[in-house]
Amino acid sequence: MDAPVYYSKAEFIETDTGNKVSRRATIAGPQNIILGGKTIISSGAIIRGDLRRTGPGHAVVISLGRYCLIGEGCVMRPPYKTYRGNFNYYPMKIGDHVHIGANSVIEAATIGNHVIIGKNCVIGKFTIIKDCAQIADNTVVPPNTVIPALAMFSGSPGCFIEDLPESTQEMVEAQTKQYYTRFQPLDR
Amino acid sequence: MAPTIQYYCPCLSGYPIQTPPPPHMPSSSASFHPLHSLFFCEECDAVRCNRCVSVEVSGYYCPNCLFEVPSASVRAEKNRCARNCFSCPICRTTLSVVASDPPNEDDLPGPASISTVGEPPFFLYCNHCRWDSAEVGITFEKPTGLAAQLQKFEDSAAESLEFERLKEHFEPFLRTSSLSSSSHMPSLASHSLHTSSVTAAASAALARDIPGVSKYNPHTRSRAGRDRTVNKDEMPEYKSRVEMGLFNQLGSGGDEGDVDFMTHIETASEVAKLEQRWGNSWVSSLKTSDLRPLRIPLHSKVSKRCPTCRHILIKPEQKAQSVRYKIKLVAANYLPAITVALPHTHDVSRRIQSKTPASTEDKQTIIMAGKSYPFHLALTNPLYDPIQVRLSVQRMHVTAATDGTAPDKARRTPFAVSLPTSPFPVAAFAEAWEYDDDEDMFGLEDDELGLEPVGKTSRDRDGRGKIKTVGVLERRANVTIVGGEVVIGKEARGHVKFNMLVSYTYRSDDPLPSEDGAGTPSRVIAKAPEVKTFTFYTVVDLGPITPREESKVEPEI
Repeated sequence: MDAPVYYSKAEFIETDTGNKVSRRATIAGPQNIILGGKTIISSGAIIRGDLRRTGPGHAVVISLGRYCLIGEGCVMRPPYKTYRGNFNYYPMKIGDHVHIGANSVIEAATIGNHVIIGKNCVIGKFTIIKDCAQIADNTVVPPNTVIPALAMFSGSPGCFIEDLPESTQEMVEAQTKQYYTRFQPLDR
Repeated sequence: MAPTIQYYCPCLSGYPIQTPPPPHMPSSSASFHPLHSLFFCEECDAVRCNRCVSVEVSGYYCPNCLFEVPSASVRAEKNRCARNCFSCPICRTTLSVVASDPPNEDDLPGPASISTVGEPPFFLYCNHCRWDSAEVGITFEKPTGLAAQLQKFEDSAAESLEFERLKEHFEPFLRTSSLSSSSHMPSLASHSLHTSSVTAAASAALARDIPGVSKYNPHTRSRAGRDRTVNKDEMPEYKSRVEMGLFNQLGSGGDEGDVDFMTHIETASEVAKLEQRWGNSWVSSLKTSDLRPLRIPLHSKVSKRCPTCRHILIKPEQKAQSVRYKIKLVAANYLPAITVALPHTHDVSRRIQSKTPASTEDKQTIIMAGKSYPFHLALTNPLYDPIQVRLSVQRMHVTAATDGTAPDKARRTPFAVSLPTSPFPVAAFAEAWEYDDDEDMFGLEDDELGLEPVGKTSRDRDGRGKIKTVGVLERRANVTIVGGEVVIGKEARGHVKFNMLVSYTYRSDDPLPSEDGAGTPSRVIAKAPEVKTFTFYTVVDLGPITPREESKVEPEI
């Protein structure tokens, strides 16, 4: 129904599982990043998979679920803190059907499923966002905030505004799936 | 602004006719809701909205620590989190607990956070505005159970003590009177009797302590007074332990101290904003420096019931952070979802984009007065059975539509809407993967419609208005797109907004359709016993009309 969102075929790399990653995005430490499939990473996004936990062995730094969208110019950076005198980065886990608007900076620890984050947001370190929550455009969420399920947050500092309708999960799921189908290559 | 469609809930109409208010009345917006916020009662066969459902709390939780608070302890904890959750008195952010030793050798900005092996005293720190509780003299010996540690401050407040004493004072009386009423006067009258004597006693205490509060005089006062002499409802006089003057000293406001403070303020932030003060239970001081951290108010999960038949429409799972529901009857699962589009705006924006980078104004929907525009309605069927849909525009009473809202010269209906008059089918919903191959499903029943079969290819030609714009344009999967046309009057202004009646027939699964067909007038049983019709109203807003004077484009009619 809605008009397709065209992208230049040369710009994006499509993986076997349907992830579409822009060549103009900065993906640091790709071996530490997991994409769930059918996830779009737009141009100009910066994903810092290199900021890994110190210590031996393989570490997953950023994991994204299915049908996610990382908007243009987004910065995804794992949170860090000094615990018992040791500085360390901590992994960031993002669920399925998560859309993040353009130019947002994300340092959350956990983002649940069916979450929508608007444009120009700042999500502070170690923020926990539960399922089906939404964050309005231009919201600044302070570090260590917990955003409960089905809550709408807005403002600076981000505050609870309202409860979202019961059908949010279905709506977000339909919206994210539709966006993925609308996101079509344009040869040229 | 993109065109919108909203669905009507008849709860405010009050009549059995259930016709929605004219769309141009400002109050009509209260009756229309987006489809996803509506519920559907299967028993009543009717749409319900958040405004009319009855809501029950099914559980409490803290929005910060997500602890599920048993309802028994909610009252004792005064509806706020009794663990470690506090909000900043300045900016309402959640405070974090930090140790008081910012290690000097460490150059990191900000204190080392949360419950490490830091050293006491601990204090609360705001990550957003950098307020900390040491400023106001609140520190803790250990980083856990902070609410309990703060509890003594809270409980030692004079107002809180007075309230507790009042409760204590009335408690034995309430207990004996409820005992006595249950033993020998188990009637409703006894209840009203003892409550009235309680209020009488309370009002007497109030009237004595606070000048200007007159004595509460219930209608049954004489009778209650007489009864009190013979009944054992007699209670001792309450004696306040706090004099009224003391409350003024505590800073209840308006005295000379406040005036003095206000005349000497240097920055506006010294005065606590109303927003920062009104969450407090007791009268608080005007000074920002006197604000205290607040325990975070609890949130609740709610279940919703139909207002008429009391059946449950929404019943959440017990777990606070679960987004699943045991019962969820939302209208989106029953009514076809409709989306509206104005194809000419797509054309305009695309054309501009190909030539020059489109500015934002060009992407706006432009509806010129004195022109006609096609529009598309896409109907999506959520049911597992195919439906037949019939659309019609609700005739507006011109006087009602223009009364008071529009100038007198626009007394004629400013626009005319044409929709397909014959019913058209929308195919059944099936799981999405069945349609992944993008195969079109049209061509099944086009002959029955009396319309020429139109496929996907003809849609592009329709946009130019040469071929018909009104009728079924496209059918695929469980979506049917129909075209309509709106003719805007030359003097028209305001929004192109009209009420649309949607009625659809479907095959019912119910074995006994006659039984529940008697509910509301919106359901009509058709001749075939298993076919039912459901009717609902929507309001379609195609956007604002650009007046002709401003547009220098010649109308093309």
